[in-house]
Amino acid sequence: MIILSESAKKSLEDYLRQARTYLRGSRSVDANEVEQNITEHIENELEGAAEPVSRDALDAVLKKLGRPQQWVPEEELPWWWKIIFRLRSGPEDWRLAYLSFGLFLTGFIFIPFFLVFLTASYLVSRAAISLSNNNLQIKEQKWLIYPSLIVVNVILFLILLSWPLFISINIGYGLEHDIRRSFYQFRDDLHYWIMACSFIISSLGLWWVIFAIILRRKNNVLQMLCWPFIDLITKKLVFCLWLVGLIMMMAFTAVGLCYWLWVPLKMLTEFGRL
Amino acid sequence: MNAKFFDNWTNQLRKGVLELCILNDIRNRKMYGYEIVRRLRKIEGLIISEGAIYPILSRLKRQGLVETSIKESPDGPARKYYKLTEQGEDMVSQMNAYWQAISGATNSIEKG
Repeated sequence: MIILSESAKKSLEDYLRQARTYLRGSRSVDANEVEQNITEHIENELEGAAEPVSRDALDAVLKKLGRPQQWVPEEELPWWWKIIFRLRSGPEDWRLAYLSFGLFLTGFIFIPFFLVFLTASYLVSRAAISLSNNNLQIKEQKWLIYPSLIVVNVILFLILLSWPLFISINIGYGLEHDIRRSFYQFRDDLHYWIMACSFIISSLGLWWVIFAIILRRKNNVLQMLCWPFIDLITKKLVFCLWLVGLIMMMAFTAVGLCYWLWVPLKMLTEFGRL
Repeated sequence: MNAKFFDNWTNQLRKGVLELCILNDIRNRKMYGYEIVRRLRKIEGLIISEGAIYPILSRLKRQGLVETSIKESPDGPARKYYKLTEQGEDMVSQMNAYWQAISGATNSIEKG
């Protein structure tokens, strides 16, 4: 296993991502097998090179391997891929970026269909990045490509962060009557809602702890969902989420437990006074 | 205009010849992907992008003309070796015969 410099690692990731994108479009090849062969080829070519291998040394190997676009004949690609490919490759390579931004703006004009246009714009943006040959080109096009990507990713992140809140609030309202009848600790309105809030916030905290662990692992599904912003999820951010989640979970579990024990105690005291 | 015509023609020719060369290369003994690239890169003008060989190998495998086996390597991780299947043997024989016939006929036409 060769050791690459940071910039070489990034360059290799970009190259393999591009290769995967093209190869997955082709029905006649096994993308994973080809990727494995390409990785093996690179390792063989760089055997004996000074480590960490520089970006220049790696780029020389990648240049000889050629652009992944050259590997698969166009006739082997599915129809939808050919449409994207034709839109993408023209006199200049900005068509998909313009299309993405156009769809995004159209969503604001036809507000009832905003979600449809936003989804279309998001998919076109992802295709534009997948088909892009280099990072410089993505940087130049980011004002056109990124709006829909940012909106979708922010919405997705907020949903992922807060879904237990909606579920537990629904449970709190839906089962209010049954819970209050079953447990005498919940008979009082104030008591019920203090306990319910403790449950809601501590379950949210528990989810944040789990979510932080999932974020830390950066598995394939997460990379696919958050891409190309996956690098923004830093270790520090993940740790903060984990810590806040843990504090919320512990603090509000403690509040709930104390209240659970304190209510009968209070009732007993009042009963004693009578 | 002429340069573009020549480019298109060589591209079309190269594609078929490359497949024939790969199949012939693994006809006598099994080889791993990088080894095939290393041997074929010596033929000038045959390979424009070395990476193109791997999707061809994958396609030939899907078509049942080659098969793979994993073998431990003394130099590092296990390698995937490619070899012809029976179907591949028949195919490469047919392709070689066709190639001989075509190139022979082309040579005789060229000589007038």
